[in-house]
Amino acid sequence: MKEPVYEVFARKAREEPLRHIGFINATDDDLARVYAWKTYDEQNWAEMCVIPRSAIIPVDPGESQFVTANAPATEDSIVHARATGAYGGSDVAIKGDA
Amino acid sequence: MSIAEGAARVEKAEELGEGVRAALRDLILTLADCKRVLGLRYSDKMLGAPTLEAGIAASSMAQDEWGHGRLTYALLSEFGDDPKGELEHGRPATEYRSMGPLDRGFRSWSETVAAGLLLDTALTVQYGALLDSRYVPVHNRVQKLLDEERFHFQYAAGWARRIAGVSVVRGEFAAALAGYLPEALRWLGRDDAESTQLLLSEGIVTQGPSALRARFLRRVGPVLAETDLAESLGVTQVDGGEWRCDATLRWEGWNDATRRASGVLDEETAARARGDKNRAMLLD
Repeated sequence: MKEPVYEVFARKAREEPLRHIGFINATDDDLARVYAWKTYDEQNWAEMCVIPRSAIIPVDPGESQFVTANAPATEDSIVHARATGAYGGSDVAIKGDA
Repeated sequence: MSIAEGAARVEKAEELGEGVRAALRDLILTLADCKRVLGLRYSDKMLGAPTLEAGIAASSMAQDEWGHGRLTYALLSEFGDDPKGELEHGRPATEYRSMGPLDRGFRSWSETVAAGLLLDTALTVQYGALLDSRYVPVHNRVQKLLDEERFHFQYAAGWARRIAGVSVVRGEFAAALAGYLPEALRWLGRDDAESTQLLLSEGIVTQGPSALRARFLRRVGPVLAETDLAESLGVTQVDGGEWRCDATLRWEGWNDATRRASGVLDEETAARARGDKNRAMLLD
């Protein structure tokens, strides 16, 4: 089992766009919400969202910060690119699972 | 959330009758002491948590609990107490009314999560009974606290599911839950306690102990069921509706005011709660 990466997005006011503020590792969506809220608490956020990195589909993989830059540029990866994270963080393997 | 319709608001503690006033003071002091000591116990897990994020969250939860404690102590200035003096910084361990199971620090991550799920939730449920209180100072302070507690519950629930799936610690987690569950249920108090009846009849709290136990089980029951530990703990859902627990609550030696039956907080923890070490730097 792995502890996947979740990307964290937030905005300070309703009229502002959501912006990417960082990432966390969590075993499930509930813990991801808690960790994001507790880790990125430097602002009085009006809204915060977490998104599994694996759910992000870069429109242009060549320009996306969510795609590992040195991932093999196969035909399939170009057509079906999924976020893997070029700027930091990766899934964490968990030991001791039943 | 609004104060119950038709109930006259009470703005000052002096407007309350003597018996209600004493009962409310007991409840507030007990809640505040529980928050303070729970915050200390969470703070012990800031370093050494299984993951960095879990440690950061534990640190934030410790801050939350101390904030809730401070906010709750402050309510007692209306009752002739000196929150920033004697109450927070001058009482010996024997006078602390924190939950009995918090007398000892958490010995494992399993105990930390079990306490978060059961003891912290019992506290939250009791605060929830004050949300619609006609005593306005309490009513005004509870919502923010309950909002923050949602994250504490999600944290505990997430970790409960996680630990229950790890074979080497599942038994340890089940034992921690079995130890805390009857304590949490009992801490919500006796239905026939005179002080409880007074607070309820005067609209200071909106739910009595049995109703709070039902609410507590509605919250933790589904999590325990998800971990497949509910049945072994005697927690069951009746026909897809209410949750029940067949744990026997023992009331021998129970003190309705302090919500303790025996034991005492250790002096070292009390010294930390009082801030003895840096007392010289305490500012007004």
